[in-house]
Amino acid sequence: MRGKFNPWHMTLNQLDEVAREINLDESIHQILRYPKRCLTVSIPIQMDNGKIKVFTGFRVQHNVTRGPAKGGIRYHPSVTLDETKALAMLMTWKCAVVSIPYGGAKGGIVCEPRKLSLKEVERLTRRYISEIISFIGPERDIPAPDVNTNPQVMAWIMDTYSMDVGYSVPGVVTGKPISIGGSLGRNTATARGVMFSLMNAAKKLKLDLFEKTIAIQGYGNVGGNLAHLLSDEGYKIIAISDVEGGIYNPKGLDPRKVSLALKESGSVVGFKDADKITNQELLAVDCDVLVPAALENQIDEDNADEIKAKLIVEAANGPITPQADKILEGKGVFIIPDILANAGGVTVSYFEWVQGLQAYFWTEREVNLKLRDIMQKAFDKVYRISEERKITMRKAAYILAVERVAEATRVRGLYP
Amino acid sequence: MLKKIECFLQPSKLEEIKDKLVKMGVEGMSVSEVKGFGTQRGYLEEEKINKKVKFLPKAKVEIVVDEEIVEEVIGAIRKLCAAETIGAGKIFVIPVEDAVRIRTAEVGKSAIY
Repeated sequence: MRGKFNPWHMTLNQLDEVAREINLDESIHQILRYPKRCLTVSIPIQMDNGKIKVFTGFRVQHNVTRGPAKGGIRYHPSVTLDETKALAMLMTWKCAVVSIPYGGAKGGIVCEPRKLSLKEVERLTRRYISEIISFIGPERDIPAPDVNTNPQVMAWIMDTYSMDVGYSVPGVVTGKPISIGGSLGRNTATARGVMFSLMNAAKKLKLDLFEKTIAIQGYGNVGGNLAHLLSDEGYKIIAISDVEGGIYNPKGLDPRKVSLALKESGSVVGFKDADKITNQELLAVDCDVLVPAALENQIDEDNADEIKAKLIVEAANGPITPQADKILEGKGVFIIPDILANAGGVTVSYFEWVQGLQAYFWTEREVNLKLRDIMQKAFDKVYRISEERKITMRKAAYILAVERVAEATRVRGLYP
Repeated sequence: MLKKIECFLQPSKLEEIKDKLVKMGVEGMSVSEVKGFGTQRGYLEEEKINKKVKFLPKAKVEIVVDEEIVEEVIGAIRKLCAAETIGAGKIFVIPVEDAVRIRTAEVGKSAIY
């Protein structure tokens, strides 16, 4: 969501386009164009040197028509209110695509976490949560990890909220450590969902994935786990990259060995048995399936023409700019859009919340099977819409999402 | 939780599968000779498929295992059954509510292992 575009205007444009396509009721369109609530808070904390520094944080709830708001919290210097609003709206659509009973939210703190100590991050988290505490809760708004936030940060959120109300409330946040009510399978959920999306697409497009080559950009929680899952299935990964650069071997890469090299040298580039390539070269590698699993806006109008893959799975959020999207559509590339492809994360977050509310926990196999079921249903619906209307999977996913939220808005009516 | 793994396989693979699964700690298995068809409508890979659906001889293998090793068992069967060939068969995983060992009245996992 960083870069040359105002992310909020981009997401509004996307909504407007869909509204035209489906002749969306004008009143409902108006409602959906505005976030329900935007909260900006000042977060004073004591730094390790004794001085007090004031940070700015946001929490935006775009829509809660289908259920409580759900969305991550990110710690990053480039966090803005507009970005948070855009990401909150995307969460509304993402939850609606996979039909889990949530609305969309997002939060963030403008900060550079690499320059903060662990104690400072803890104080920042606790004070931020105190500032938004009347906003959140298991029935209102349930935060989750995002850029630079992890299970430990979620544990502090759970603790701060629980201390405030006076009893333990695991359902206030997801992505928690297992020891305080985290879900088995949550860590690999996004990657697993991406894999299911890829397999569902292969089935529809009649591709034999065992004969296809796969390139993955990014080797973090999503890219790294995905590489291992795909390799375990017996699929061939020929290129992998992280922030330092990429590696390429047309004979195939073994993620287990790549992860060892990563452990020893700090980057996948430390893996010896492959050619070194740049992140840009990775995108243009001669492969059948490309999985951007790193940052947004990686594929733009400058490099879209060089892409050779016939199938792209958007594991990252917004890896393709709207201009590049048009170029790729012209080339006949089949793209599984982010709000469908990477919805496995929020889906298992939902499972974690459900388990927390029931205080009864499932086996990892149960989690994975339920995830597969939801991803399959969502994919089939989106694919059917794209076939019927002869439109891209992205448009189809947005149509499905907007229609579901619009229908919920319509039946609920306007209060008072 | 116990799961029943019910597979329909090429009969020629049975011996290998039995040996491998016993090594993996599977304590029991039932095999029956059955006839059936799947996506291939009963035709072999090299044959042309026409409208008439045929039955082919298959081996039905039933194993009850603990949920923990389900994935491992499926992986082993797939590996031995030349997973990439058409007509290699199918594997179904079915929940088992309970198991009872008749002689001792042991139940659940203890009835199996």
